[in-house]
Amino acid sequence: MTIPLLLARGLGKRFGGLQAVADVDLDVHAGEILGVIGPNGAGKSTTFSMIAGALPPTNGTLVFGGESLLGLPTHAFAVRGIMRTFQHNKPFASMSVRDNVMVGMHTRLSGALWRVLLGVRGALHTELDAAQRADALIEFVGLGDWRDADVATLSFGQGRLLEIARGLAAEPRLMLFDEPAAGLTPAECDRLSNIIRQIAQRGIAVLLIEHDMRFLMALADQVVVLNFGRKIAQGTPADIQRDAAVVSAYLGDVGVLGQHAVGACGHA
Amino acid sequence: MRQWLGLVVAALVLSAIAFSLGSYQTDVYRKLLLWVTLALSYNFLFGIAGQVAFSHFTFYGIGAYAIVILLFQVGLPLPLAVLAGIALCVVLALVVAIPSTRLEGFYLALATLAFAQLFIVVLNEGGAVTGAAGGLANYRLPDVFGVRVSGPWYTVVIVLLLLSTWAILWRLDRSYFGRACRAVRDDPEAARAMGVNVAFTKIIAYTVTSALAGVAGMVYAFVDNTVNPPIFGLENAFLLLFMVIVGGSGRHAGAVVGAVLLYLMPLVLSPLIGHHHALVFGVFMVAVVLFQPKGLIGLWDGLLKRRKQA
Repeated sequence: MTIPLLLARGLGKRFGGLQAVADVDLDVHAGEILGVIGPNGAGKSTTFSMIAGALPPTNGTLVFGGESLLGLPTHAFAVRGIMRTFQHNKPFASMSVRDNVMVGMHTRLSGALWRVLLGVRGALHTELDAAQRADALIEFVGLGDWRDADVATLSFGQGRLLEIARGLAAEPRLMLFDEPAAGLTPAECDRLSNIIRQIAQRGIAVLLIEHDMRFLMALADQVVVLNFGRKIAQGTPADIQRDAAVVSAYLGDVGVLGQHAVGACGHA
Repeated sequence: MRQWLGLVVAALVLSAIAFSLGSYQTDVYRKLLLWVTLALSYNFLFGIAGQVAFSHFTFYGIGAYAIVILLFQVGLPLPLAVLAGIALCVVLALVVAIPSTRLEGFYLALATLAFAQLFIVVLNEGGAVTGAAGGLANYRLPDVFGVRVSGPWYTVVIVLLLLSTWAILWRLDRSYFGRACRAVRDDPEAARAMGVNVAFTKIIAYTVTSALAGVAGMVYAFVDNTVNPPIFGLENAFLLLFMVIVGGSGRHAGAVVGAVLLYLMPLVLSPLIGHHHALVFGVFMVAVVLFQPKGLIGLWDGLLKRRKQA
């Protein structure tokens, strides 16, 4: 077993009197897809936000690549190689697809401002280079024909692909997906599965929280089940489906689980 | 390379115009160039960085007053006075920007409005230092390296000011910094997730553009050779806002179009219809905001698109 890239121990979040998440342990390894599932209110989003740096945990430790993430501001997560997508796409609405992706490179481009102002040769080069890398990523997610388009003209599914390209632009070591399949058509969903798999194959650690069980079960190497803010099970997708406690206590519909083999996103 | 060539050509053309003008026209031309300069930097602050700040014209005033006070009351030599003036603008911009980054939209507008009003109060109450309500006058630009810069040559200085302001903003806009500014305006939460330090980006955008306004103010101080409180009142702060909105906020070309149009409009209209030009101005503003929210440059974009499709 390799050392996990992301290591969460006893992670917890309290909002006033409400313990939204308690005592959650998570390991994410490079090149591995970890899925987190749970019903509404299980604490998935809160857990996600803590790992993405959007919410500070009230308990526990969060270590990434040997360095504690506690106390870091949100923007300090990207520079360390943690990138995320948003469940409700959050594109930069006034910019082209390419510029959106180039914002994702922010932490890889930030040189001294005076270099930009003087138009130092290197600065100009970096800019051209960045545009080329952006185009390659746009191609990778399949938005090649839209690279100069206004993001307003993209469909919801294309917007999700843009979120992914923008995240990859930062050369992340850990990519976080917040319900990536939500709102997608079955065809888009398949494409998304493919893309996520390829991202993991590049050696990037992937953590996704997901509602769509079949999508997640077909994709994840490891699954963590949350309920009422606590981890109630962990294992391979097959283990989780066999875990009678999980199934009966909380996943409920055994029939649905049995059918996961038909493929992602509920279609063959 | 092409960009440099463009700048040189623009410098030559704009300077050549300066040598062909009479004294009234020179005055109009110089102020037009200054308005364009201010509109360009305000466009970066308001249009690109999305900060609804009313302090831009105030920094123009701070620059103007600072250079006069530093030269003729403190007695600094010109290069030092310019540097000290810029430093003063930067420090004041930071003082306003750092607490203001917590504010957004309406509240930032209020805070900067208060700052603008405070500046006018300080000018009026400043006694001998600011010349109180009468302002400062009876000074002239010291010789620069032993050369007296005046007449069309001073207009050339303004041309260079405009073009360097444009070049700086253009560079900033087409860099990670410009994208970060737009990202912060569009969606601060997503910008943060991309690793953009939102507060820092806002502070730098405010400080850089305010310092540019301050430098423009320093140059202005020797156009009329007088500075007084009414010039730097809110009326002009709002005119600047209108220029950027009418031209098309977020676009450099839009700022130029807006500034030229709104500065010349009363000059052209008042001989024809007298004070009614204010009415025309008002109706025009409302029409643009209602029917062309992307400004005149948006109208131009639409035409180009239609021609492409045809």
